[in-house]
Amino acid sequence: MAQSTKGRLNYRCPSCFMRDLDLDMFYDEEKKEYYCLRCQYVGSEEDVLQKNQMARFRYKDMLKRFDRFDFD
Amino acid sequence: MSEFIVNIIHRPELAPEYAEKLSGQGKVDDIGRKSLLDESLEIFRFQQDEAHKNGLKTTIQMTYASLFSQEIIDMAKEYHEKYGDEIALSLLGLPCTQFREKYKTKDFCIWMFSMEDKKAIVDDVFGKFREAFGCDPESTGSYYMDAELINYIKEKYPSVKSAVATCWEEGPKAYHTCNNSWYTFLDGGPWAPWIPSKVNTHVPAESEEDDSGIVAIPHLSRDLMACYDGNGSNFGTHPQNVLRGMIYEDGEYPYLYNLIDQYRSLEKYNNGYSYNMMFVGPGWLNKLGRWEAPYELLKKSYEDGMAYYGKLKQEGKLLDMTMAEFADYYRQKKHYTEPEVALWRDILYGSDKQYVWYLDPDMRVGINADLGGAIFDLRPYAAKLSIPVGIGTGNPANASYPFLIQDKYRAGYFTHYAGEGTIRSAKLTCDGQEVDLCLTRSHAHYAKEGKDTIITLDPVEVVFAEKKIRLQTVYTFTEGSSAIRTDRRVLSLTGEGGPVEIQDYITACYGTNEYSEDMTGIVLTLSDGKRQKKIDYEYRCREEELEGGKVEAAARIPQVNTKLGFTCGAENATGHIREGYAFSPMFTLSFTGTLQEKEVFTTWLNLQKAD
Repeated sequence: MAQSTKGRLNYRCPSCFMRDLDLDMFYDEEKKEYYCLRCQYVGSEEDVLQKNQMARFRYKDMLKRFDRFDFD
Repeated sequence: MSEFIVNIIHRPELAPEYAEKLSGQGKVDDIGRKSLLDESLEIFRFQQDEAHKNGLKTTIQMTYASLFSQEIIDMAKEYHEKYGDEIALSLLGLPCTQFREKYKTKDFCIWMFSMEDKKAIVDDVFGKFREAFGCDPESTGSYYMDAELINYIKEKYPSVKSAVATCWEEGPKAYHTCNNSWYTFLDGGPWAPWIPSKVNTHVPAESEEDDSGIVAIPHLSRDLMACYDGNGSNFGTHPQNVLRGMIYEDGEYPYLYNLIDQYRSLEKYNNGYSYNMMFVGPGWLNKLGRWEAPYELLKKSYEDGMAYYGKLKQEGKLLDMTMAEFADYYRQKKHYTEPEVALWRDILYGSDKQYVWYLDPDMRVGINADLGGAIFDLRPYAAKLSIPVGIGTGNPANASYPFLIQDKYRAGYFTHYAGEGTIRSAKLTCDGQEVDLCLTRSHAHYAKEGKDTIITLDPVEVVFAEKKIRLQTVYTFTEGSSAIRTDRRVLSLTGEGGPVEIQDYITACYGTNEYSEDMTGIVLTLSDGKRQKKIDYEYRCREEELEGGKVEAAARIPQVNTKLGFTCGAENATGHIREGYAFSPMFTLSFTGTLQEKEVFTTWLNLQKAD
């Protein structure tokens, strides 16, 4: 089996991202999947994108534009 | 009139820290690859064009590598003449073929070199700058500049008046985020520009004698809540950091503008002045994209960031300055003991949580309104610790200024099963029930009265089975004083039942990261001038108390050369000291007393140099 490479884009592990870890994933051509070097996450590009979207759950105000910062 | 200043900084790096790792995957290490050099130059040109297109002047921080390129030297001169950009000198971006061949090292963080190497590199880089431009620079910088380095530069190159000198709360959190491979341990410093002490860069100078001679600016303007609570690398005035945090959807990232605007709002607490710094290294605009963000989005985010600053300038809401111009402005605007204050709200997670940050030459303090106004971060700048850093000092990399309280690294109110965490709060008890004010959520308000900065929390209610108390916490910081006054105002006390007792306390330790340090050597005392009780820390869970007014509860912490004194204004209060144990390596100083309606329970926490 040939060595793994980076994919089309340099995806990070969504599972590690959710615990504040930026871990580049590598792509296994044979299994057609991205995999994390640090944890057990594996997934297709579609799955990575879906999980990345999920990681945004905590940013409730991500798309909100604040117009005042008054504390009073 | 309020003024919002921005410094836009670019560096022609030629071998960007990130780009080499990213674009070089699968190739042998070759820092001098032509494709890398060409791309880096193109990125620099793009950044400069975007700033100028939006009417913004920049500070060009020449890197060591760029000083070998006549093309870049000529470009910098042209930008200077045409747009008024400052040509400065960065101590970032050292890596290049010439540097590696000369110094035989892959180290690239100036504060980590030995003092001998620091001097040699500074002389080399400054010498090359003089060769290229016929003068010494007025500004320099790195992610961190230690005091010994700044002192050397200032002595040898007195024209230097400004430096990028720390990155706010870039420390163990950044290390962790980078899979424990990014050694920038710089916690505990200012978030906004300051004049560093000659002794420790993170400590603001207290006087002319203590003045290092430069105005320091932070690397980026970072989210004063998100960077503390979580990964610091995603939440700053750095568009690609925002993408790194995945804080965008469909190419939109209002968070970036909210962040800039919240910084603008800080003028209310700082005599009409607020500040922003944007400094995006070329590696972040890599043609291959950065993680899952394609180049097009990286580029768009930089264009949008510049356009927003440009729009503010057009509307008369922003002043763009070079670093050197800003240094002059700052020295006119601020005086040594003047505090820096920030009331910061959550602008990302939807929590309605608020932090208050206060900073002066004696302390850095964080107050969490969501924890009833508890102090969750405390740095004893009064100790003015000399902390040499770099190879050969015995401390190669850790430039963080130690904490006495840090509620993420040493828990806060909440601990698992046993022990205590670091926090400054109060517990109320009545008829066998106990409530910590950390469980009362509140908001904070700012006022300035003469030399006093007053932070007033909204009143909170504590409900016991038979009794209800409405209480308000007020902090007062007096300029030139190293004491923090805390008033607990009893607004109402209703219902039956026994008296309500208060235990106003600070639980603290010391450190710079998550792991406990040896507490041996710490001495806890209670004294009123006539009587004294003492505990030499031996992890034995001992407690002592002393009744009566004029008692001081104190902790001497030799490891950080700090004396923490705690006094109380109530005459019938009792002072307490408590030692921790190995599973809870803390100490607690507190005062207990009985609360009466319409009365105020006042305490003072005083930070001093121990020797």
